[in-house]
Amino acid sequence: MSPPDDFERNARTVLEESVLRIDARTRSRLNQARHAALEAASAGRRPLWRSLTLVPATGAAAAALLVAVMLWHGGRSPQMPVLEGPHASAEDIDLLADSEGLELMENSDGSFYEWAAAQADTGESEG
Amino acid sequence: MYDFATLAPPYSMPAALHGEATLTDLSAQARSRALNQFLASVELKAFKIAQAALRHEDDALDAVQDAMLQLARAYAERPAEEWKPLFYRILENRIRDMQRRRTVRGRVIAWLPFRGEEDDEDDDPIAQAVSPEPQPVKRLEISEAMDALEKALGELPRRQQQAFLLRTLEGMDVAQTAAAMGCSEGSVKTHYFRALQALRAQLGELYL
Repeated sequence: MSPPDDFERNARTVLEESVLRIDARTRSRLNQARHAALEAASAGRRPLWRSLTLVPATGAAAAALLVAVMLWHGGRSPQMPVLEGPHASAEDIDLLADSEGLELMENSDGSFYEWAAAQADTGESEG
Repeated sequence: MYDFATLAPPYSMPAALHGEATLTDLSAQARSRALNQFLASVELKAFKIAQAALRHEDDALDAVQDAMLQLARAYAERPAEEWKPLFYRILENRIRDMQRRRTVRGRVIAWLPFRGEEDDEDDDPIAQAVSPEPQPVKRLEISEAMDALEKALGELPRRQQQAFLLRTLEGMDVAQTAAAMGCSEGSVKTHYFRALQALRAQLGELYL
């Protein structure tokens, strides 16, 4: 490319002057941004042994995960007590979903249990 | 014969005194210092370039900050001579993203029935302070020329604006500019030439 002419030189002078006139607040913010970038970069390449400060938090998270997994699998464990009868679970859901049953529970004068027993008897006699 | 006994004792790495220094640490520190120097050398010009493209101070600051962060995170290990084109390439991508987002936002806002007024910027006199200045008369001339140039630059197509600013303000050569713009050297020359033509047509009287 040909060397810059007067126009290009003048334009460069004006542009450089405009850079010099950047206000203090902007300069300060750029400075902060630079330091934040460098900090992020150095954190990113920190060796493993220097990341030990993260161990407590990581350990707590791992422990919580382990407990969650154990509970999940434990809930499905065959050693856990289960309701007797092949339809017990479905019956319980029906019982709770039944609005009449819920009203009885709210009254809580004991009639709920009588009603539940009657329902169970009826189911057995029908079956 | 030279008397080597008078030489300073063998160099020992300062960090070794703390018992945890490694060569990797020292090279990382040196690289971090070099990166700091590089970013300090480009941040003001990068801000002007972003401002010319985005015409918004905060957006320009955000774009430069993002570019710094990405360069430091992803490319700090690259040879230092590659940093400048990489940095401006990242900055350009960021500017383009922001322009796209702004276009979409503008479309969405145009459809909204109620539009909030933009907050006025605080005119903090300390914050507005500028660097040491030339004499008042010269300052007025330069201010006039600066305003005219910024206005003319704002009217250039983005690629022409970019080629002109990278070449003229940042002082990059054609090859570096091509790397930063992600195009061929021939395209850089074309964009630059057209930018010069347009600016000359608008500013000829002021700049000759």
